[in-house]
Amino acid sequence: MAARAHPSEHRIQLMRRLAWICAAAALAAYAFAVADSYVLRVLTLAGTYAILVMGYQFVFGQLGALSLAQGAFFGIGAYTAALLGLKLGTPYILNVAAAVIVVVALAALIAVPVRRLQSHYFALATLGIAEVVLIGVRNWEALTGGGDGYAQVPGMALFGLVIPRGWGEFATVWSAAGLLAVLAWRLQRGLPARVHALAREDPIAAAAAGIDTGRLRFNAFLWSAAYGAIAGALAIPVVRVISPEVAEFKVMVACLAMTVVGGRTVIAGAFVGALLLYPMPEWFRFLEDHYLIAYGGVLLAAVLLAPDGIAGLAARVLPAPRSPGPPPAPVTDREADASPARPRGGAALEVRGVAKRFGGLTALEGVSLRVEAGEIVGLIGPNGAGKTTLANIISGQYAADAGQVSLGGRTLTGLPAFRIARAGVARTFQTPALAAGLSALDNVATVCAGVGRTDGGPAARLRRAHGVAAAALARAGAAAYDMETVGALPHALRRRVELARALALGPRFIVLDEPAAGLTADDITDLAATLRDLAEAGIGFLVIDHDMDFLLPLAGRLACLHEGRLIASGSADAVRADPAVIEAYLGPDFAASGGTHR
Amino acid sequence: MEIGQLFLNALVLGASYALVALGFVLVLNATAAVNFAHGDLVMAGGMLAVALSAVLPLDTGVPGLLVLPLVLLAMAGAGLLFSLVAYFPLRRGPPVSVFISTIAVGIMLQHGIKALMGPAEQVAPPLIAGPRLEFAGLVASRQALATLVVAALLIGGTALLLARTQFGRRLRASAQDPEMARAIGVRVPVMIAASFALGTALAGAAGLLFANSYFVSPGSGGNLMIKAYIAVTIGGWGSAPGALAGALMIAFFEVGVAAWLSSPVAEAALYGALLLTLVLRPQGLFGEPAGRRV
Repeated sequence: MAARAHPSEHRIQLMRRLAWICAAAALAAYAFAVADSYVLRVLTLAGTYAILVMGYQFVFGQLGALSLAQGAFFGIGAYTAALLGLKLGTPYILNVAAAVIVVVALAALIAVPVRRLQSHYFALATLGIAEVVLIGVRNWEALTGGGDGYAQVPGMALFGLVIPRGWGEFATVWSAAGLLAVLAWRLQRGLPARVHALAREDPIAAAAAGIDTGRLRFNAFLWSAAYGAIAGALAIPVVRVISPEVAEFKVMVACLAMTVVGGRTVIAGAFVGALLLYPMPEWFRFLEDHYLIAYGGVLLAAVLLAPDGIAGLAARVLPAPRSPGPPPAPVTDREADASPARPRGGAALEVRGVAKRFGGLTALEGVSLRVEAGEIVGLIGPNGAGKTTLANIISGQYAADAGQVSLGGRTLTGLPAFRIARAGVARTFQTPALAAGLSALDNVATVCAGVGRTDGGPAARLRRAHGVAAAALARAGAAAYDMETVGALPHALRRRVELARALALGPRFIVLDEPAAGLTADDITDLAATLRDLAEAGIGFLVIDHDMDFLLPLAGRLACLHEGRLIASGSADAVRADPAVIEAYLGPDFAASGGTHR
Repeated sequence: MEIGQLFLNALVLGASYALVALGFVLVLNATAAVNFAHGDLVMAGGMLAVALSAVLPLDTGVPGLLVLPLVLLAMAGAGLLFSLVAYFPLRRGPPVSVFISTIAVGIMLQHGIKALMGPAEQVAPPLIAGPRLEFAGLVASRQALATLVVAALLIGGTALLLARTQFGRRLRASAQDPEMARAIGVRVPVMIAASFALGTALAGAAGLLFANSYFVSPGSGGNLMIKAYIAVTIGGWGSAPGALAGALMIAFFEVGVAAWLSSPVAEAALYGALLLTLVLRPQGLFGEPAGRRV
């Protein structure tokens, strides 16, 4: 691998740490210089919002799931801590812990049903939950004090030590923010950051890489809840008044605006967003309480002009590579070769009597098909014959209405797509499904989050994943493009990267959906050679394509689908000469009378 | 209260919700994006009606009916402007950006109008002035009946426009399959802009109706948007008849539970029912499952 003109990973880390320390020092110096109790209070509350936003980054930033419950998490956290302090007089630190437990438990309860919802339903469901919370705190007067709430919430205390107002609270909140930033960074850096990017940009691609996006979302939702609860529990003793205001939608709006303005995926963005926007009501005093107009304006401007936020703008200026340098180990390294290997031979991929209906339309009916290990089977058929539907059923994107898919006797039907990918049946898509913002190497490396070893620290895991990915890219004939951003690669190479991702799973079978479409003649020849080598090594292929020049010399057997039924299968020459196949492609005038089924 | 009276009340509320939901689903279908500001546009229509009635000489018997065409026109223009600001610059981006941009514009509308007209509840002129009507033991304001008629006319007119005119066919074609529509010569961006204009005009009309029967304040938009959102969800994502049915169901549910228990309980129960629907039948109560094609 050629050396690249990037500053070393080590130096960048050092620069980043230095930037963090400088920023922290600047904040402390500013607070100290002004030393006005009002400014301190605003800065302290901005710190609680930085925590809230860091939590929101888990679910909205990392995974791109538009949760609208983050404000509610803040609200319940604040109410739990405040009410315990007011009514039971329990120690503050216990109140914070209780707030986290209550909110996380609630989030877990909610997350089970909503985590797999599509984005617009996820947004609505979380919005509905937030509304229920608001109705609850407004109307359950015996517990919450209703619309007025309670004043004189006890202040912060730590192990019996009362934390003084002003500086004490400032230091407590910002220390917590710092610690939580380190925790968030440890949870997100390395392989998880790449996996999250893939899940965010293309959930279907993530499933094909063996990634359980539902579980990712579940975890992220719980983390966001925990951070939200801590933020609320820290803010309330500073404000000293608990009222439904803490659970209103404007908390959610502020959090969303800070996240978008600061930057969705970069932790520093949470701090930038909170410090810039929290004091905004002060900056726009001339607007009185209409500062929310300006909030909306800033949010709109950020979405239109800087979709990656200020942190994203900064990243364009500063040398911060999206992925670290190439893996230090050469691709022949033992670690790389130790990519999830499986015993070869024996097991076959078998489709038996599969049927699929979309409403009144029968897409597939009684389709049976068998691919042996190391065999290349071509699947042909006119447009709309059901080829991609069959691929979707094999790989678990669709559920079959009848029939079964099995791998070496193990039933795959009913398993989610990511489990089928892990079980050894990989696939590629008609339009390559990849994360456009990630490098080719990172795209392929995501596979290692679901399969292979899970020991070692984040850095070791990432290094190992990059090793596996480099080896897979080499096998797919794309080794030279490992550091290129996938969005900038030409179509033919994206197909190679997708093939490499399939290979990195260590699959027994790969379903290729029109791999030759849009490729030049030279590319097709290369691809055929690559596939032959891989079949030689024991991987079985089901190749959907229209290009007979590509498929005929490559595939040992062909199968032809027509209107959802398998009308022919056998040797390439036999299928090509089959009257039913000719009729399906060219219409009845060209075919001999009477369809045959073999 | 008597069942018949409750039924009439729910029907009037449902007619107004249906108008809100119809505008919402038109924009949704054209853009595949949720318009979070839709409720605020409804509120803006109501506030516009209030403002117009203050400056226009409306000493006739039908003040609201005179204001209605002005509101429709002005809101159609506002819808065009809205699409230029919040939708078209983000058309090629991820759908979540449009979601956020509409949240942003919604906030600006809500607080901008609050700054102009104050936070208090306002009343728009009734469609038809005059005393209440009574028959068969039911009490109905002329406004309630006029609301039913106007909503039915606007919904029926929209349905005719979509089903029977060349413009409507183009609009539906570009919503269903933008690429194909472009290939056969439909100017898709124009159709999207038209959907915003039509959807927002309907929102304005809904605002006018609401602002007399139920009052309107700058903060009432969010709630209405959620109702439309829920109506579209339980009616089947993207289905206009489903959205209308969903809106009526919400109104009957709300009026029924509120009469039986209380308003906050009715609202909480509505969200509970929504969550149950999402978990048990994410495709909506009547709809077919619609997933992304791969």
